[in-house]
Amino acid sequence: MWRPLWAIIERELKWTVRQRSRLVSAMVRPLLWLLTVGVGFEAMLRETGAANYRAFLVPGLLAMVLLFGAMLASLSMVYDRESGVLRMLIMAPFAHSWIVVARWISATLVGLVQAAMLVVLLGVMGYLNGGISAPLLAVGLLATSMTCASVGILIAVSTRALDNFAVVMNFVIFPVFFLSGALYPVRHLPPWLRLVASVNPFSYGVDLLKHATIRGPAPFFGADFGIGADLLGLAAFTAVAVLVAAIRFSQDSVLEPLARWLSNGRGN
Amino acid sequence: MALPALLRTARAVLSLGPAEQLRPEKAFARGGLAVSAWDLSKNFGKLKAVDGIELQIREGEFFGLLGPNGSGKTTTIHMLTTLARPTHGGATVAGCDVRAQPVSVRRQIGLVFQESALDRNLTVEENLRFAGALYKMPAGLARARIDELLQLFNLDAKRRTPAGELSGGMRRAVDVARGVLHRPRVLFLDEPTLGLDPVNRRALWQFIARLRREERVTVLVTTHYLEEAAACDQVAFLNAGRIIGRGAPEHLIKQFGAYVLEVESPDPDGITAHFSARLGVGLKTDASVSFRIAEEHFSIAGLEAELDSRVRAMHLRRPDLNDVYLWLIHGGFGGRER
Repeated sequence: MWRPLWAIIERELKWTVRQRSRLVSAMVRPLLWLLTVGVGFEAMLRETGAANYRAFLVPGLLAMVLLFGAMLASLSMVYDRESGVLRMLIMAPFAHSWIVVARWISATLVGLVQAAMLVVLLGVMGYLNGGISAPLLAVGLLATSMTCASVGILIAVSTRALDNFAVVMNFVIFPVFFLSGALYPVRHLPPWLRLVASVNPFSYGVDLLKHATIRGPAPFFGADFGIGADLLGLAAFTAVAVLVAAIRFSQDSVLEPLARWLSNGRGN
Repeated sequence: MALPALLRTARAVLSLGPAEQLRPEKAFARGGLAVSAWDLSKNFGKLKAVDGIELQIREGEFFGLLGPNGSGKTTTIHMLTTLARPTHGGATVAGCDVRAQPVSVRRQIGLVFQESALDRNLTVEENLRFAGALYKMPAGLARARIDELLQLFNLDAKRRTPAGELSGGMRRAVDVARGVLHRPRVLFLDEPTLGLDPVNRRALWQFIARLRREERVTVLVTTHYLEEAAACDQVAFLNAGRIIGRGAPEHLIKQFGAYVLEVESPDPDGITAHFSARLGVGLKTDASVSFRIAEEHFSIAGLEAELDSRVRAMHLRRPDLNDVYLWLIHGGFGGRER
């Protein structure tokens, strides 16, 4: 199974690297947040005596790149109208669930490539100085990317309504991002929002990255959960999501309409 | 569970159908049936898209599944290529059961979709290499095979062209090359000439003929351009999910008759009434009636004068598969009556 799997991943990565404008916009988005929302909030919060807000925002923005990169990469799977490759894939001699797994792995890597670029940029800009745990950062980025990709894959095989970018932005990406602790600590939220944030798997990714980048005692802006809880939350969600997606994708109710659509949508 | 399936398979392999459809000595000469389907059916809600069809396609045969859009051709192909599960009935393809062994079936078949299965961003060669990897072909073997196929399809010069920049005809040819890269035992072509101009259509059929000659692959093709299927060894006509006729094209055409007489007239009913005693029941379309003419030495001299002003034009021609299909839809041509 390695040869086909690697071929699918290689193709996806080649494509990611060739799409310069997408890579650039993936970098611009978090930097824009950092330099507008980050600077603005920091100026406001400084009046209240709080610590460095931009440093707090860094892990959230790294997670944001993964959310957009990995999740959109896996979301585009089933209804990828631009390319006929899905036709090749569903006729290939392996179980259809491998298509989901391959897409999940390659989306994870796409997210990681983008996150690595942002890490370099942030490092150059001086946002990652001191107190960074490189191994924990690597683990955090990997685990978060895997989770974001798994969310995308799960949505992709579950519904056809979400193949529209605007719908995905409004109903998935924004809520997931805003309710994750990326912009403000979870522990200061009202209880019902805290509950929502704690069932949002993305929260644990953001939190893990906080552990990696915000070191030392920081009572106000520190991480909300323990490292173990973060890893467990991410791993559990990801495993379930990939499993459910793989099983669902092999089901007739998903595969047959897809095959008909790929054969021209007339369904005859 | 296993026993009934086994019995069904055995039944399907052994039930050879009427003698003219399948000559047993030839069927087993090269390993038997490439495709065998029994009671193959697919419902979408209440719609019976495919309604209990039987198919026996010999190894190496060129088989045409013909019918208009919506007659169930693509659904049949999807069931045979493991992309749809039969509601009831079943099939074996290249000796494997489509329900129980879908991966084994897919390993031994190629499918060319109506729409291109190529990545527009990759070159012709990259696409084919990607396809080779999906079939776990060793790189060296895949390279040799790609060279061979690009030669066969006259595409050598386009090797490094992105698939998105190819003309429609070339892209379809690359799609076919992609479909046979792994040397499948059965190649399924779903409306391969759809959207192609006549020149490219002819070129594509020539490629397929060359492929059959050189690789001896069994080919199942669907098309609604019925006249294109004349080169098939066997055809089956589908209408509303059922097979309404089958046989070798030349045999079907011969059985149909020697000529088709088309009479254009503002009064088709009058024409029918006038001729039916002599020529049998005609087949009416908007402003014309056609008759099946069995006699090889038929002459239209005199008919025109007989009908004078009621005839706008009269046309005698050899029948083709379109005529066969039209008559089958309207009740067949076993006898003179409907």
